[in-house]
Amino acid sequence: MSQLSKLQADFQAYLVGTQQNSLFRSNIVNDAKVGADRRLAIYHDSYRLRLIEALSNSYPKLHVLLGDALFDSTARSYIDAYPSTYRNVRWFGDSMREHLSHILPDHPLTAEMAAFEWMLSLAFDASDAPVLQLQNLAAIAPEDWSELSFQFQPALHLLALSWNTVAVWKALDAEENPPAFEQQIPPETWLIWRRELTPRFRSLDAMEASTLRLAIAGTSFGDICASLQNEVGEEESAMKAAQYLAGWLEDGMLARFKG
Amino acid sequence: MPFCFFIMTPATIKSPHLGFGLGLRTQHYHSILETSPDIDWFEIISENYMIPGGKPLDFLDRIRANYPLVMHGVSLSIGSSTEIDKQYLRDLRLLADRVQPAWISDHLCWTGIHGQNMHDLLPLPYTEETANHVAERVGIVQDALGRRILLENVSSYASYIDSSMSEWEFISLICKKADCLLLLDVNNIYVSSFNHGFDPKQFIDGVPADRVQQIHLAGHHNHGDYIIDTHDAPVIDAVWDLYGYALSRLGPVSTMIERDDHIPELEELVQELDVARTIAAQVLHPASPAHKLRA
Repeated sequence: MSQLSKLQADFQAYLVGTQQNSLFRSNIVNDAKVGADRRLAIYHDSYRLRLIEALSNSYPKLHVLLGDALFDSTARSYIDAYPSTYRNVRWFGDSMREHLSHILPDHPLTAEMAAFEWMLSLAFDASDAPVLQLQNLAAIAPEDWSELSFQFQPALHLLALSWNTVAVWKALDAEENPPAFEQQIPPETWLIWRRELTPRFRSLDAMEASTLRLAIAGTSFGDICASLQNEVGEEESAMKAAQYLAGWLEDGMLARFKG
Repeated sequence: MPFCFFIMTPATIKSPHLGFGLGLRTQHYHSILETSPDIDWFEIISENYMIPGGKPLDFLDRIRANYPLVMHGVSLSIGSSTEIDKQYLRDLRLLADRVQPAWISDHLCWTGIHGQNMHDLLPLPYTEETANHVAERVGIVQDALGRRILLENVSSYASYIDSSMSEWEFISLICKKADCLLLLDVNNIYVSSFNHGFDPKQFIDGVPADRVQQIHLAGHHNHGDYIIDTHDAPVIDAVWDLYGYALSRLGPVSTMIERDDHIPELEELVQELDVARTIAAQVLHPASPAHKLRA
């Protein structure tokens, strides 16, 4: 190992470690003015402070929900558990949901809040794609519709939430007192996507959620209609599927069709 | 255009002078597009736009349509002892293809090894071994990007007992070996000179003038016995004085102000940039009556 390799390995181990008093100090010029320990502590502290700030930027409402002290300790344990491997600090918080499930198992709404905020951020800067319009489908012959399948916007995600997490998020976003936490049985499915560059979200009823899941998986329009027959009957199924499709087009959720 | 633009750079290593710029920050997107402020160019943090799509890239394209941009990275980690991140270089190249920047810069530091990123600009030991290592990697980066890059001197808070030369000697050695350019951060020179007790003018005198492509200016936080480079406050008078000194040695250099925290209205930063313009005019064209001395 070269001198540089060893120096950097020791410095990095010092930074990610919890001990401020380290043998690594012997590599640093000591002086009467500041001293090697304090000089190193500047780096030790700023490593954490910078990443705590990055996590707060990624999870602004989670930060409010937890309060400064609990957010700070959560962020610190996250930094220790999930050291960054990213060039862009924007991705650093990608495991916060798992982390909160692990460290705050008795407060499951916090992990859901993290999941919701992370998906909003994914919707914010997901890949751009063309927005499929109703008129793009006008030329399709009636006999071709059953083979039609759809590709959705890259920014679109579905998230099943077992708590009134979005209601809490909305209250915090409006700087109001959040409602009491309530479990939702069965879980509610939320749709998160982007329209005109701005992230949007809305809840889905169970039938639309299952239909949308099929469509996202590339199921043909004909098979989607068939699956709806169990719910609304054979006569209504095509109409119901068409209604959903019209709504998705209206909301700018679709990118392309394959026929 | 002043007659002396290329006097310092007869070999045309440097790109054309861009004038006076600011770091592009999200808080100013709308003001920039709506008011077309008198700013000659903007510098972007490359990593902030190394994302799949959406609003940041939309704003970037619209601002690029009206202003020259330069790209400034924070994660190249040119001084790491472990393998260079080739995927990062490909992503950087893709962004450069989109932005068509006047130039691309990053920091003379390391940010992590073995695939980890400390997201900090960590100092390097000033040794021949390190200079050789960095120069070799600069060559790889310059080949991947198809252009010379600029390396910026960072603020530092600790120095290594292994160092065998000054920071400016180290920088000069790398420039020579790697044939790269320099982004001289005058605030960082001031911060490091305070923290390590050297003469900041000696630093400026010691770097290769013909390779200084850009200057950074910023504010910092003085803790009494050391200074932290925070970019959250106006440039202090001592740094302005050092900027004037740098220009007197270097000639005209594209200059910008970095503000990363406590970001004020754009107008306030434009006014701060006017101080840089005034100092540059004063230093480079002292006879011109059009430029009044700064109060």
